[in-house]
Order: sequence, then structure tokens, then C-alpha cells
Amino acid sequence: MGAREIVERIKEEAVSEREKIISVAEKKADELIKEATAQVELQKKRVIDAEERKGVEELERMIRAARLNARKLRWAAEVEMIAKTLEEAMKRIKEVKTSGFKGNSYSAILAGLIRDATRSLTAGSSTSSGSDLEVILSEEDAPFITPDMLKNIADEISAEGVNIHLSLSDKRIKSAGGVIVRSKDGKVEVNNAFEQRLARFSANLREDIVKTLFKRG
Amino acid sequence: MKEQNTMAVEALKLIREGEEEGRKLIEEAKERAAKLIKDAEEEVDRIKEKAREDAKNLAVQISDKYAKKGKEEESAIMKKAMAEVENLKSIAESNIDPAVNRVLEKILGLV
Repeated sequence: MGAREIVERIKEEAVSEREKIISVAEKKADELIKEATAQVELQKKRVIDAEERKGVEELERMIRAARLNARKLRWAAEVEMIAKTLEEAMKRIKEVKTSGFKGNSYSAILAGLIRDATRSLTAGSSTSSGSDLEVILSEEDAPFITPDMLKNIADEISAEGVNIHLSLSDKRIKSAGGVIVRSKDGKVEVNNAFEQRLARFSANLREDIVKTLFKRG
Repeated sequence: MKEQNTMAVEALKLIREGEEEGRKLIEEAKERAAKLIKDAEEEVDRIKEKAREDAKNLAVQISDKYAKKGKEEESAIMKKAMAEVENLKSIAESNIDPAVNRVLEKILGLV
């Protein structure tokens, strides 16, 4: 083999080695990029999935909050209308005092409240022991009840078995109306002032009001 | 003899030059290969950086999409609720007299 042939062979081998080195590097570079791209795609999918989940949760939270606010709005409207009804009822008491209500005079209404309170106070009392009770009214209501009316009520209840004496107290209550009936010693009483009755029946009344107010058709 | 020696020296010189040329070729190939890998690594960094930016933008886009949808749903729910409230109030206004009577019956002790 001559020198020139040897040189040619050396060159051929070097070129071949060069091609191999570059080919390996190109392959590795290609793999690095492919791997990174695949990793990025996977990461992107994870981000999308996570953000979609967060988005759906946020959407559901917003819907829940809006529904709650809507319920609050309806509830506030109900509360407002109930308050308006109660306010109107209290205003109408003045009218009841002058014109009565459903065919009942205000005197008869007060008499009914005194009768109920007296019966509550004497319920369970023995027939032998008597009850000395007094009726307390507001200044405005005092003229509606006379001693004769009280005597009639007392007689009516006494006839049921308990000896009752009812008298009109000089004391006055500050109230829109109604009565307090109590024992003379002040130990027991039934408060039938309208504000108290309103508070006492509040829960049931609210149910009734809602049923009546929001009845459709 | 002298001529033969001269030829041998020339041949060796040629071979050495060939070897040097081959070494250079391989050296250049190694340098090129290193650059290819370095460029690829830089490209990987760029891809990852771009992916981070894309992910941020994507997150904002998705979040905005649901926030917008949420606002629309919220608006529709509240609009419906307000209409219901108006309707409720109108029904209540028309029924207020019987409701007041119901309250009066109770507090006046007529029921």
C-alpha cells in the first residue's frame, strides 16, 4: 500500500468517525427535544385538568352563593312583608277600638281577654278557695271596661265552680291595648296585653301570616 | 539510496498530514456534536420556559372562562330571584288584608 492510499484510508476513517459522532449527537439532541416536548405536553394536560377542576369548583361555589343570596332575597322579602303585616295589625287596633272587629265591639274583645286570662289563672284551683283578681288596663282602654262587666265575667266563671272576684286596678299599663289579669298579691298574672300576645304567638303567627300572605290565586 | 530516503520522508510527511487532517475532522465533529447538544439543551430550556408561560396564560384563560360563566349564572339566578321577589311582594300586597285580619283575630283573642 502506498503512502497516498494510506492517507486516503486515514481520511475515510476520519470522515466515517465524524459522521458517526455527529449522527449520535443529532440523535441525542433530537431525543432531548422530543422528551422535553412530551414532558411539556403532559404538564400542559395536567395544568388544564387542574385548572378545569378548579374552574368547575369555583363555578359551583358561585352558583351556590348566588342561590343562597337568592334565598336571602326571598327571605328578606318575606320578613319585610311579615313585619308590614304586623305593623299594619298594630295600627288597625286603633280602628278596632272605635269600630270593633268582625262584629265584636272593643269592650267585648277586652271582656273576652279578661275571661280567658281569669280562666287560665283559676284553672286547677279548688272550688272552695276563692280568687281575688284585679284587671289592669291602659289609660286609653280603661273606659271600655266597667265594674258591671267585670262582675258579669266573675259570675260567669264562678258558676263554673271557682269563686272569683274581679276588680279594676288603678294601675295602668303602657300598651297598645289588651289586659293584664293578676292576683291581688301580684304573685300570678296572665299578661294579655297585645304586644305580649303578639310575642307569645309570634312563631305560629308567622306561619299563619306566610300561608295567608303568599297564597296564590 | 538518498532518493529512496527522500521518498520515505515524503511518504511519512504525507501520512502525518493525513493523520493531522483526520484528527482535525474528528475534533471538529466533536465540537459540532457538543454544539448540537448544547443547542438542544437550550431549546429544551426555551420549550420549558415557554410551557411555563403558556401554563400561566392557560390557567388565567380557564379561570376567566369559569369566572365569566359564574357571573352569567349568578346574574341569571339573581334576576330570576328578583322577579320572584317582585311577584311574591305583589301576591303579599294583595293578601295583606286577610293576613292582618288573621293577626288581629289571634291577638284580640277571637280564635
